[in-house]
Amino acid sequence: MMINLIFNKTFLEFIPPWRRGLGRSIIKFNTSPQSSLFKRWRILFLLIGIFILTSCSAPYKNLTKTELPNSEIKNIPYALPYSEKTLIYKTDINFYKNNISGLLIIKKTDENIYRIALTTQFGLKIFDFELNQGTLNVKYCIESLNKKVIINTFQDDFNLLLMQIIPEKIYSIEDSKQNQKIWQLKNGKLNFNYILNVESEKIENINISKRNSKKISVGLHEYKANIPGNISLEHHTIKLNMNLKLIQ
Amino acid sequence: MRILSTIINLLVFTGIIYAQEDGFKQVQDISKTKTELVKLSENAKSIQSKFVQEKRLSFLSENIISKGEFFFKSPNQLRWEYSEPFSYIIVFNNKNIYIKDEEKISTFDTESNKMFSEINNMMIGTIQGNLFTDSDRFDVKYFENASQYLLELDPKLPEMKSMLKIIKIYIDKSDISVAKIKMIESSDDYTSIDFKDRKLNQTIDDDKFNLQ
Repeated sequence: MMINLIFNKTFLEFIPPWRRGLGRSIIKFNTSPQSSLFKRWRILFLLIGIFILTSCSAPYKNLTKTELPNSEIKNIPYALPYSEKTLIYKTDINFYKNNISGLLIIKKTDENIYRIALTTQFGLKIFDFELNQGTLNVKYCIESLNKKVIINTFQDDFNLLLMQIIPEKIYSIEDSKQNQKIWQLKNGKLNFNYILNVESEKIENINISKRNSKKISVGLHEYKANIPGNISLEHHTIKLNMNLKLIQ
Repeated sequence: MRILSTIINLLVFTGIIYAQEDGFKQVQDISKTKTELVKLSENAKSIQSKFVQEKRLSFLSENIISKGEFFFKSPNQLRWEYSEPFSYIIVFNNKNIYIKDEEKISTFDTESNKMFSEINNMMIGTIQGNLFTDSDRFDVKYFENASQYLLELDPKLPEMKSMLKIIKIYIDKSDISVAKIKMIESSDDYTSIDFKDRKLNQTIDDDKFNLQ
């Protein structure tokens, strides 16, 4: 895709805003005259581009995709959202050059309602959120983090992690080559993929993708009972990642 | 009406009990108490103690407990060593902060990290007693019972007030040393730290305040 950027500025429209910066820097060096040879090359690269674009836009394209009734969301073998126990994770959040560490406490208080709080090692609260039917309400948040953009980002992260998405459609995809079974929750242009490792019978990866690009990916490992012992969440569009380690 | 007044009385009455906590009464002779508390800094040239930290969150039925050991050497060396629920060490040594998180050691300086320097000042200020003489930052109320003084610090600065409603410091009369700190947030969630097996003015090796 980047190849096309060199020749066709209009392609910028297809590039997500967070990747446009890179494209621009390449364009700067290419103000060459529009010769016919150049035009032919342009078409060729356009075709290559389309080929690359289509091949990565649908990673599960050639696999059997079965539409499931929406109620099937309950049968995804992912226990984290249903745990009645208070979950405590030792947590490191890296946001650009800032690091916040402490204890993340997740407590399911009702059907589709969670309290999620982060405290420092010394006990001081950093934030205390209620996630209610997918909406994050701020009970408390230190001033430096209490910004709409940051709160919305946390809302996306916890909705993904606690599977609080209300999907328009659900598909199940079998990827026998990768030994995976994928539950794809579709909401608007976003796909929320919950990926089961068939061998371990655990959801080991989760991601949000839009067209051909992943926005957030999560790795879930070292399961204890049905709860992931290690969770690493990474944003691909901003410099934000979270590492969680189960304590209780 | 009678029921209503009983309920109101009950509320007011329990409110008073809460304010006076465990038989603590307002100190009559504040200047005498202040003179007593000057001993805090004299007594605390060094402190070595175990601690139990309890975090109360209203939505949890049980408090979160952390445990560890605490070292202090006057004027400004401090080591918090958490052993439960996981190993974590934070050392304040003059202007340096060292953190050992599992096997990873990070170094900061207090000037570049405001939050840590605030924690450091508060902890050392509490132990040495100069936090409650800081009338620019706190309004202080003095209470006592037979065995302890209780100092209630009401933060004045808005940044501090947004985090903490009140800080309670319990000081044992027997040796004039800090036995417990309770930091209460505006939501009434709190963190309390109990210092147990306190050893005052014993030699602590300087290595304790170096992590490298």
